[in-house]
Amino acid sequence: MEKMSFNYNSLRARNARLGKFFGKPIMLIILALMVIVLIASGISLLVMRLAVGWICVGFTAIPLMLIFWTKKELVLVPVNPAAGLNGLLSNDVLAAMPRNPNAKDIAALITKTTSGKFMYVRYGLSPQLLEEIASVLPAEVGPIFQTAMKIQEGTNSEEIHGAILAAAIIVSYPGHEDLLKRMKLDLADVLDGIVWFNYLNGLVKNINVRRHNGGIGRDLSFGYIPTLSRFGQNISIVGRGAMRTHLHLADHREIMAQMTNIFSNQGRQNVALVGPDGSGRATIVNAFSEYLMDADAKLPENLRYRQVFKLDAAAILSAAAERGQTERLVMAIMNEAYVAKNIILWLQNAELFFEDGTGSVDLSNVLLPVLEAGKLRIILTLDQQKFLEIATRKPALANALNRIMVKPANEKETMKVLQDQVPLLEFNHKVSYTIWALKEAYRLSERYVHDLEMPGRALSLLDSAGDYANQYKMVTAESVQQAIEKTAGVKVQQATSSDDRSKLLNMEELIHNRMVDQSEAVKTVADALRRSAAGVRNEKRPIGTFLFMGPTGVGKTELAKAVSEVYFDGEKNIVRVDLNEFVSAEDVSRLIADGAEDSMSLTAQVMKQPFSVVLLDEIEKAHPHVLTTLLQMLDEGILRDVKGREVSFRDTIVIATTNAASIDEFKPEFLNRFDEICKFKPLSPADCLAVLDLIIAGVNKTLAPQKISVELDQKAKELLVERGYDAKMGARPMKRIVQKSVENIVAKSMLAGQIGNGEVISISREMIEKELG
Amino acid sequence: MFLVDLFSWWYFRGWGVFFEDFKKRLVDTVDFFSMKDMILTLFKPYRQIAAGASETILGGALDRLISRMVGFFARVVILIAGCFVLILEVFCGIALVIVWPIVPLLPVAGIILSVMGVVF
Repeated sequence: MEKMSFNYNSLRARNARLGKFFGKPIMLIILALMVIVLIASGISLLVMRLAVGWICVGFTAIPLMLIFWTKKELVLVPVNPAAGLNGLLSNDVLAAMPRNPNAKDIAALITKTTSGKFMYVRYGLSPQLLEEIASVLPAEVGPIFQTAMKIQEGTNSEEIHGAILAAAIIVSYPGHEDLLKRMKLDLADVLDGIVWFNYLNGLVKNINVRRHNGGIGRDLSFGYIPTLSRFGQNISIVGRGAMRTHLHLADHREIMAQMTNIFSNQGRQNVALVGPDGSGRATIVNAFSEYLMDADAKLPENLRYRQVFKLDAAAILSAAAERGQTERLVMAIMNEAYVAKNIILWLQNAELFFEDGTGSVDLSNVLLPVLEAGKLRIILTLDQQKFLEIATRKPALANALNRIMVKPANEKETMKVLQDQVPLLEFNHKVSYTIWALKEAYRLSERYVHDLEMPGRALSLLDSAGDYANQYKMVTAESVQQAIEKTAGVKVQQATSSDDRSKLLNMEELIHNRMVDQSEAVKTVADALRRSAAGVRNEKRPIGTFLFMGPTGVGKTELAKAVSEVYFDGEKNIVRVDLNEFVSAEDVSRLIADGAEDSMSLTAQVMKQPFSVVLLDEIEKAHPHVLTTLLQMLDEGILRDVKGREVSFRDTIVIATTNAASIDEFKPEFLNRFDEICKFKPLSPADCLAVLDLIIAGVNKTLAPQKISVELDQKAKELLVERGYDAKMGARPMKRIVQKSVENIVAKSMLAGQIGNGEVISISREMIEKELG
Repeated sequence: MFLVDLFSWWYFRGWGVFFEDFKKRLVDTVDFFSMKDMILTLFKPYRQIAAGASETILGGALDRLISRMVGFFARVVILIAGCFVLILEVFCGIALVIVWPIVPLLPVAGIILSVMGVVF
């Protein structure tokens, strides 16, 4: 194998070092000043008839040539792939590379390069880490360079820059997989980082390249559009800003090609982009508008320099006081656009133009003939649900449209979009985003953001996370977690504190503080939750799914509340659905109703409160269709609401309760969806005594603000159990009997002024007998 | 080595870079003055001001004629301005092509002129 070595004296290396020296702004200023001083002094001397002035004038050439050389060559030494390693090393690497570099030298120079800093900031490949790795590598750097060349080839990089050398050093380390794992990364992430850097570097290099967009006479052949300019926004003009819109999804690029095809051919000149919010419909239109304005793009002549105008429904409505005026105004706009001959109208949220309502108006009678005639180019963007609604109401309208579906992005595509948008977010928030922030934004938004689709949903979360950067102005995975906690009101931080761990370890004890016996059921639930908290669980299912079976009053609901209190820090984190209210097939729609229509539907409540115990009470009474609907929730942790949005139950503990005597009442496929089936045994009189203590403790808790407490002697307790125990009804009658006796005695004593603050009411068997009669 | 590198760049790669920049500038100018479009649409109506405005055939034809004349003049003015700038750029380019190989010789020329005692 060819031995690879760095040639310190190669022309590229020499030029890169000179470029580093002369390329500094101060040096360029000095050189420019030298030119001015030499020429001025030379001319002055010649005017003074001193021939030595020619020397000054002549030597002006040296700084002048240096300026040219630096700006046109030295600061950006071109790559020369034919020269192998020495022809591929990037400018900043060449400039910083010592004569005979060893692994440590390479590690040290990486963070002096732009790409090395990029990997440090976003992937945590710090100078210390790289130098530590380099210190255990052989001093011979040939293998590192060889690896770097392979990575350069594998990532389609134009040159070998600091990021590639960083990856090469890491790959050369034998235990790199474990090392990366500890950093929550893998090699693919690092290689992806190189591709990301190359992409951004390409954008930076091209930012100063002049775009050709038709010039000053471009619109001379096209008409005036005063009304349209008033009620619309020319996104083609907006799109000529600093950053171009890039389409990272193959689907989107294909859609743009379809749009070009439709608009350049004869036929209906409209495109309806139908897809969920956040799927990138507006991005496609923006990219399309920029494409049409690019003089260098290969596109049909009948589309060149066509401008996309976004119509503002609100502005049109507010300008037209009466209904007829709106129609007239829209017709005037359409007429202007048609006569101008270079306009493509964009109806964003097109449903606003096809239905009457607040902020919308039904203009289908005006728009349908225009769409059917196919003379005026129109783009409509709307979501699928709205399209279906319009298609049902106005089939002719739907038939007149060239519908193109815009699908949500997958994880890989979404990450590309996020990487593309990061510079813009960083500019807006004045922060830096790490790769973990991007990954977390995808993961959390997929679970907790329901109003948008990918990539929009991940992007919106990443944008919000910009406000939660740490003290070093870095947006990390924790920043994203904070953002989702604040914006969606969900708690996503894992149980890491010693308090949380101790709670999990002592879960049985904590649960038994509020409920009696049922040790087996409690242990089953506690074990399942501990496994989940330790990460030993399927992330694509709820934390735990339990079926509690047993007669009434034995503590099924109480255990669900106890789990909520212990696991989710509060009894309030419980979503309770009484399935005895869902006894017909039609009730399914109520179960999964949209939150705007029914805030108490199961999906709406879990959407608001994804970290909770979902208590499905009395499932034996639910209609079989309701149970079938719940299967996906139990199996995959997902339930679709009536609007088709996926609601995640993956952070819930699902507890179904039933009083059914036997599991035979349920279908096996339903029972199989539960992690555990916990059978609750009936309470014995001895258990009821313990239950009584808990009830009395509850009474004392209620009385605590008045500094009054109650205590019962043993005989009084026995009497209460004797009167309240019912094997069929469990502990429920106990609550009633305490209410009738103990609480009544306390109330009467307080009203009679027999007890004051800080006193204890001792209740005897006789007092209870007297009270109960 | 430094001067050798500078001079060899100036007479070899430097030429290429110079011509590339020159070509880019010309293309930018052609785009800025929309010269290709101006030629292709030389007789088209100006700003579509005649489109559907008049009710009679004669009136429409007259409107279109006027519109095309206005358009023609507007385009010719832009074309003339563009050509003027292009010619200026070409002249500057030719001047630079002539000056380019002489620049590295200027120090030597300065020394010679100084030794010869040439003054105004």
